[in-house]
Amino acid sequence: MSGALERRPGPRRRPALGYDERNAAILVFPVVAVLLVVAAYPILYSFWVSLHDIVLTRPLRRPFVGFDNYLRIFDDERFWLAVSRTTVYTVVTVAVTTLLAVLVALLLNEAFPGQRILSALLLVPWATPSVVNGLMWKWIYDPTYGLLNALLVQLGLLERYRAWLGDPDLTLLLIANAAVWKQMPLAALLLIVTMKAIPDDLYRAAKVDGANVFQRFIHVTLPALRPGLMLVLVYETMISIRHFDLFLIMTQGGPGDASFTLSWLIYVETFRSLRFGTGAAMSYVLAMATFLLSWALIRWLGKRI
Amino acid sequence: MAGRPIAPRLGRALLLAVFSALFVLYVAGPVAWLVSSSLQTEAQITAVPPNWLPPELNFGNFDAILNAAERQVTYETRRQGDPATGGFLPSGAANLLPSLWNSLTVGLWVAALNLLLSITAAYAIAVIDFRGRRATLYTVLATRVVPDIALIVPLFLVIRNLGLINTLGALVVTYLAITVPFTIFILISYFEGIPRDLYRAARIDGCGHWRALRHVYLPLSLPALVASLTFAFLTSWNEFVFALVLTQNVAAQTLPIVISGFVMDFTTSFSFVNAAGVIAIIPPVVMAVLFQRYIVSGLTAGAVKG
Repeated sequence: MSGALERRPGPRRRPALGYDERNAAILVFPVVAVLLVVAAYPILYSFWVSLHDIVLTRPLRRPFVGFDNYLRIFDDERFWLAVSRTTVYTVVTVAVTTLLAVLVALLLNEAFPGQRILSALLLVPWATPSVVNGLMWKWIYDPTYGLLNALLVQLGLLERYRAWLGDPDLTLLLIANAAVWKQMPLAALLLIVTMKAIPDDLYRAAKVDGANVFQRFIHVTLPALRPGLMLVLVYETMISIRHFDLFLIMTQGGPGDASFTLSWLIYVETFRSLRFGTGAAMSYVLAMATFLLSWALIRWLGKRI
Repeated sequence: MAGRPIAPRLGRALLLAVFSALFVLYVAGPVAWLVSSSLQTEAQITAVPPNWLPPELNFGNFDAILNAAERQVTYETRRQGDPATGGFLPSGAANLLPSLWNSLTVGLWVAALNLLLSITAAYAIAVIDFRGRRATLYTVLATRVVPDIALIVPLFLVIRNLGLINTLGALVVTYLAITVPFTIFILISYFEGIPRDLYRAARIDGCGHWRALRHVYLPLSLPALVASLTFAFLTSWNEFVFALVLTQNVAAQTLPIVISGFVMDFTTSFSFVNAAGVIAIIPPVVMAVLFQRYIVSGLTAGAVKG
């Protein structure tokens, strides 16, 4: 940014590769090399794979099929089923995460004794490995010894123990609950940072105008929270739409097809049916869909909130 | 505050207390239940109604899964159950300890290499005014726009063609691809906050870029460096999908893979699964609480700017 001054055309021409350029090239080279091998090349390779009919059970036969793999996806009933499951899961996860994060941010933005301890606790779910998150909730939902059953029965809200994850109507919501638990802290942290930036004067002015707590939240906090909320909504959507770990650990797509999401479909297609061509094509479709959706969300929210 | 009537202040305190209690219950409750269950025998966790707290401190579950290798868990012996706790040992219990070391090894390599690679690149992009610096930055960040799931298939094929399937090296390289762009992003925003005059003074004193980086930028960015090390280690320690696809046996499997094996084997007793979960949760949670300040400032670095 300070280059404007040095860039002025002087009497001497700058050499083609000056000291700065040479050093920058050396400093940047290792990262670029690593990312080329493990990020850029696989992305392009994946596209090549998606244009071929590669089935690992017939390794020597890999004909070029153009966009057939892509067209086949849209005729696949499982794909549309997965789209609807993913939509339900994503909408629930994002909505609940955002709502809870706003509440938690409001709480932790206050100054009170113990606030620092609570802020440290907030990082516990964030740091929990997703595999442990999955087994922890699976244990809580356990049909015969789970905490959820025990709590509800002891409180008199439930008559007899239930197989929670075995109920097709509840599975997606229960997995979403586990996901919310882990994802909420980061969202809350982002919102707290945004809240801290709101000038106190705004609240004082609102108080002078006679606004109560809720009016102050609606008219001062919420509008100022816009950038933070947008970030949270977009980030959580991108995470949820392609979430995989909990589905493998908790339900493996079941019961029946109750938690058959897009990432689960891609996993099954690729590593169980070993159809790498269609698997790669599905990955590309999901990647493009995520990309377009976040772009649309940013544009739409930018206008709306 | 002193002049205000007492009733609203009491109301506020009560409200904060209630919400704090709900918050603690929600955030810490599930983990507390996991820890409590891990300290109970199979007979105790299957009691109805459940024991909220372990009747006595019993580390038998941990002992059983950590020393499983010496006990020769075969189909016959695990059917008899573990005599100490009365449960069915997971068939992969012998892999737990090796996978713990694998996780640790990969995590430390990723943390160290991630920092080494990112520091130089972030310095170049943040400080040096060279042609193509924006292009470099956008290229690095763009690699993270593609969802992991789209990378799994090609990465599997690339790693397989390189003959690296089922090696720790494959995991290290893969995790670097995940962590480096984020670390570069954090370090750039930190380096840009360091006064430009310090850099100019160093250059006038005859420092080259390497010495400016070593003597000016690095000493001043300790918090960002700690945050980057922590993120890289945690990402690597917690990662599941890539490890699942890229590893096959005890030579390279990490903790999450072995534990997920416990969970999906439905004959396994939950007492051991819970104990394994507690083992996996301790390092990241301790790190998170220890480095809380750095982590929060690192995580929110991007949010403040934009």
